[in-house]
Amino acid sequence: MLESATSMLTESESNHLTLAEFGAESARIGRQIADSYERFHIHVEEVDDLDPLPHRFLVKVGKIGLAKFIAKEVMMYFPHFDVILSRPCTYGVFSGPIGGFAPRPKLCVGCLRCTVQHPDFVKVLPNPKMTALGDSYTTHGHIAAIDEEAKKGMVPVRGQGYRGRFGGPGFDGMLTDMSEIVRPSRDGIHGRELIGTSVDVGDKPMHLSFDKGGNLMGRVPDMFTIQVPFVFELPPGNLGSDALARVVDMTSRIVDTLVCLDADTVSRLGMDTPNIVPVLNIEDASRAAEFSAARLVEIEGWDAHAFGQASGATDAIVGVRIPFEEGWQERLTNAVDSGAKVIHLLADLHGRGPCDTFVSDLFKEAHTLLIEQGRRDSVTLIGGGGIVGADHVPKAIISGMDAAALDLPVLFAVQGRSRGSLKHRDQVRGTLPKKLDHDWAVQRLSNLCGSWRDQLLEILGAMGIREVRRLRGEFGRSMIVKHLEDEAFDGIPGYHGGVYE
Amino acid sequence: MNAYSLGEFGMPEALGDARWTDELILSTWYMAETGEIPDKLNFKTGKSDGGFDRLDFTYLKESEWLDHSNDIDTKISLNRRGDSKNNIEIDIPWYGGGMSYGSVSVNVMMSRALNAKKWNTFMSTGEGGYPHELLQLKDNVITQVATGYFGVEERTIKASPIVEFKYAQGAKPGLGGHLLAAKAGEEVAKMRGSVPFVSLFSPFPFHSTYSVEDHSKHLDWIETVNPKAILSVKVSTPHDVDMVAIGSYFAGAHIIHLDGSYGGTGAAPEIAKKNIAMPIELAIPKVHKFLQKEGVRDKVTLIASGGVRTADDIAKAIALGADGCVLGTTDLVGMGCTRCSNCEGGPSGRGCPWGLTTTDVELQELVDQDWGSKRLNNLYAAMQWRLRDILRKLGLSSVQELRGRTDLLKYIHKETAK
Repeated sequence: MLESATSMLTESESNHLTLAEFGAESARIGRQIADSYERFHIHVEEVDDLDPLPHRFLVKVGKIGLAKFIAKEVMMYFPHFDVILSRPCTYGVFSGPIGGFAPRPKLCVGCLRCTVQHPDFVKVLPNPKMTALGDSYTTHGHIAAIDEEAKKGMVPVRGQGYRGRFGGPGFDGMLTDMSEIVRPSRDGIHGRELIGTSVDVGDKPMHLSFDKGGNLMGRVPDMFTIQVPFVFELPPGNLGSDALARVVDMTSRIVDTLVCLDADTVSRLGMDTPNIVPVLNIEDASRAAEFSAARLVEIEGWDAHAFGQASGATDAIVGVRIPFEEGWQERLTNAVDSGAKVIHLLADLHGRGPCDTFVSDLFKEAHTLLIEQGRRDSVTLIGGGGIVGADHVPKAIISGMDAAALDLPVLFAVQGRSRGSLKHRDQVRGTLPKKLDHDWAVQRLSNLCGSWRDQLLEILGAMGIREVRRLRGEFGRSMIVKHLEDEAFDGIPGYHGGVYE
Repeated sequence: MNAYSLGEFGMPEALGDARWTDELILSTWYMAETGEIPDKLNFKTGKSDGGFDRLDFTYLKESEWLDHSNDIDTKISLNRRGDSKNNIEIDIPWYGGGMSYGSVSVNVMMSRALNAKKWNTFMSTGEGGYPHELLQLKDNVITQVATGYFGVEERTIKASPIVEFKYAQGAKPGLGGHLLAAKAGEEVAKMRGSVPFVSLFSPFPFHSTYSVEDHSKHLDWIETVNPKAILSVKVSTPHDVDMVAIGSYFAGAHIIHLDGSYGGTGAAPEIAKKNIAMPIELAIPKVHKFLQKEGVRDKVTLIASGGVRTADDIAKAIALGADGCVLGTTDLVGMGCTRCSNCEGGPSGRGCPWGLTTTDVELQELVDQDWGSKRLNNLYAAMQWRLRDILRKLGLSSVQELRGRTDLLKYIHKETAK
């Protein structure tokens, strides 16, 4: 806009535009720019199940008991067969040609009206196949939520309050703040679309310098922007299929985020695009030159020589992946000392690092370390490990990350299944649907991104924060249940630090 | 009054969750059916591993217990400012929380209001207007004014002894309210001045309130319309809930109503219920102590809600520093709710299959007003009995003596509980 106005001023001097004409032309250009503005939006659309999760409930009807009941009703209501044969269930579980003799558990939502009124011959049970999904960290609850989010693209809404445990370990022990009166916009709930979720990735100088002629001098920003504060992580374990790589690639383009894929896969599938982050082993660092379209290339682990090789071989930003293992602080410091501007930190898939420390504490430590070194704003921190719920993204950001990395949610969004423990990245064993339809899977993953972004907006809106970048490291806008308990229960006999200390 | 009898068939396996366990739901049904405390069910605590579920009382030796008698006082005052407004005392230290017309049916509202009259307590309209039928019980009905101003009328403000300003609600703090289209039927829309079957958003926050001074003007407005009404301010539990409370007091509130994050009866985003703001158990002591420090604790009534389920929870909330509590889910469970969470409509789109959180013309008839009020009457009788039982075992003759007595509580660690 400024540029246009300036050029018009020059034009007006030569062509003798009147002030009124100048004003009108300025307004026209301003309108044109405003009209061309598109608010970021992720298109969501409900999609059918390809390999649906086991249903939540099993419905068992005792046929003799039902027959007796019908006989009793025949006696009571004859000849009103409409009454006798009606098996009212709001959801139609007992509808159909032979009614309750062939219940339809897929329609059951667990209202329990049937079993409460007829406990002698109707039972509604939790489906053990459902509760067996996942593992001790990524529970069937997480998987069911991801499945619903990927199916509908909506924010899950239910009645009757919270049903889980009080606080809990890990991310469950962190609550987010809200503000009674401060809002990000005057539009209340409708204004949440105006909340920014974009994140800058790369090198941000702390200030710009200009010479006397107004020309930019010194360091210029070497960064790019993604529209959501989450990226797709390297597929863990045996999940690195070509089909899934193509799905996350397409989704990352639609959502405008990044996807980490191993360099061999990127080369083999010819997927060198700006949204792909090729991940190179230390010994292959010089291959960074192969990916001309990449904006970010990552090196697996810290090695000064490899970092130098990769940086010399490509114009892309070179990031360093640092697992949370003994000595990670030193490796982080060395990497940043050497000029790394993107650090990708990784805990195991249960969100644990050295000494079983949870990832939120590790994120805080990394964030604080860079603050103490006076260079936090010049480095982008991406954090992965244990991010399996929509609430984990804002909590990772509050803990100090610029963006969170998603791994297992990708598997469950496309209705894949896992076997055994999901703790160690290299030991994850999962299966994808046999016929993974590309478009279907892309829409599912886009739906998940849309849902998680909307839930992030809910959190930011409640806090009165206008953009996600301002949430980063805002420990003061979170509440740790243990700290709250210490304050609330101090002095109560028997209290010595809460349940989850 | 025969309702649901399950004893001989065992626990319904799919019933309950960590906060409202199967035993807690069944014991609430038992109390609503019989008016008595069950002897074979845990009617005191859930299994949430924290908060009320990890607190218990340190009772006196049995020889020191008071006799169980109606002389044990359970009354609390709702106006402690000593001003010229209604001097209201309720017979039990709890009243019914706001559930709007639309989120629940008229039959449910009437059941609650009829019961409130029996117990000389209150129920709140919630934000959805004041159905005509309720006017006959106006002395026991609180008019709620919330951010969407749905159904707010001068006549209903004038009719109410208490007017409640809802700034936020615990289940979805900072997110306003949302009545889904399927539940906004013709009558509901008429009451709310809207179009049938269109989603209704109650925005957040009050667009006229950006400071304590603005808040004060709000309260002044109600005072102008109804000079005798006492004023309640319902807020959520953010980090600075203590500052919010003191601000509300100085703005003129008689009741500060804290709504914790683990409660809620209507539909709310799952992410909000668990993650935004703090549970009520942690907010009560924070506010109580701060109001004490500011020297105004005895000038204001502190009411707690959001996850208060039982008489034991009420007693614990009071011991932590509240004067009394507000119940929502407990009332619904008393009328048969299984907490299946399909309040927002569920796959049927019709709302609650028990006829509670629905305005579906057929389903709402499942709740008869007389039946509902009798069940609630029984439930309240059992709860009052239990509250008196706790008080006498602590050697207290009035519930007001329990306020802030954290020395009478004990924290049960997991290993101890085993």
